[in-house]
Amino acid sequence: MVITVENLVKDYGSARVLDIETLQLNSGINVILGSNGSGKSTLISLISGLLKPSSGNILYNGKKFDASIRNNISVLVQKPYLFRKSSYENIISGLKYRKVNRDEIETRVDKHLHYLDVEDLLNKKSHWLSGGERAKIALLRTVVLETEVTMLDEPTAAMDIESTFKAEVLLRDMASNKRTVIVVTHDVFQARRIADYVLFMDKGKIIEMGLKNDVLDNPRSTLLKQILNK
Amino acid sequence: MFEFIKEFFTNYSDIYPVIALSLRVSLTAALVASLFGLTLGVITALHEFKLKKPLMRVTNTLMSLPPVLIGLLVYMLISRKGPLGSYGLLFSPSAMIIAQCALVFPIIFGLTVSSVSEAAKDIELTCITLGAGRRDTILTILSECRMQLLSVVTAGFGRAISEVGAVMMVGGNIRGKTRVMTTYIALETGKGNFEEAVFIGFVLLFISFIINITLYRIQRRE
Repeated sequence: MVITVENLVKDYGSARVLDIETLQLNSGINVILGSNGSGKSTLISLISGLLKPSSGNILYNGKKFDASIRNNISVLVQKPYLFRKSSYENIISGLKYRKVNRDEIETRVDKHLHYLDVEDLLNKKSHWLSGGERAKIALLRTVVLETEVTMLDEPTAAMDIESTFKAEVLLRDMASNKRTVIVVTHDVFQARRIADYVLFMDKGKIIEMGLKNDVLDNPRSTLLKQILNK
Repeated sequence: MFEFIKEFFTNYSDIYPVIALSLRVSLTAALVASLFGLTLGVITALHEFKLKKPLMRVTNTLMSLPPVLIGLLVYMLISRKGPLGSYGLLFSPSAMIIAQCALVFPIIFGLTVSSVSEAAKDIELTCITLGAGRRDTILTILSECRMQLLSVVTAGFGRAISEVGAVMMVGGNIRGKTRVMTTYIALETGKGNFEEAVFIGFVLLFISFIINITLYRIQRRE
């Protein structure tokens, strides 16, 4: 799915937190980089329909947001809430909300489980999980939905290096199926490893965007140069 | 002690219907008030609207409303000349249920809003991101906050079963028809029969103890 953003503005009272003239997100992994408060999370909240824009348009394959598009978008928020159930029940909760049948649920869970080595956690209640384990379950819960667009706000922030690499393999495999994956991160090294496209944001605006190598190898803005030590 | 209890229940066999009616009236009132109080409480917790603060102030006031005032209002509502007089509810268990519902609803509603407000928003956000509809979202919040809500319902039931003023006014404390444990205690105390009054007091205390033990066990299991 191609997502097009035109003149998108989000204000909270008199404070303008997001102001984007134009933006296109294509299938593949789109990594949004930026410092705290740069508007990354606001952008994905607007694209996913969790927030309403103050003005501007977001088009999904040329169409406005509606129920069918909503069903084709999944989001992993920065601090996901895990239900007071087993890890397995958590992973399949979204599929149950979407009335996916039992066999299909089993198929999808089996397909994704091995990526993050969580087989031993399936019967464990969520409140007994560590921070990293919670992050894995929350990521799987979003991924098994297999939506056309998947937005992940710092999905690996709580994971150790090994789990992070495993999660990145999962994300790459998702993107190879022509799906649009949008990942918010602070980690430029992660952006180098997984991105097809990179967006760099600061103070609610997009400073740079394009193919990964174009943006990360030849940064134009001073701020991104500083971050990349160039 | 056991002999005394056995003798008491043999000599005062009219006490069983009193206990049964108390439980029936208070459980029904707590159930009805919970049905509306929990649902509306969760919906209110999830939404920000202009009149939310005034609504919560009114609710807090109603939470501490004197039962006799509720009794008076319900009496005026269902007495023969009242708007619901034609239904013939006065001095019936139904009237007592209505009075207890009116008393318990603000407690359940108010405590639900305050106890789930913070968690409800996180749960709602997660439900939306997973594609849940409105109904599923509310059911999930009720399920996720079940321990807090169970305590809320228990508090509501405790308020209902220990209430005396309102049920006395609208029920009339009629033997075999609307006499409940609290009105029985009030009556027996007035007659100077402290032994019966104290015993029923212990029955009330025992019911409260059982409820609390059950709640504690459920919490431990969770």
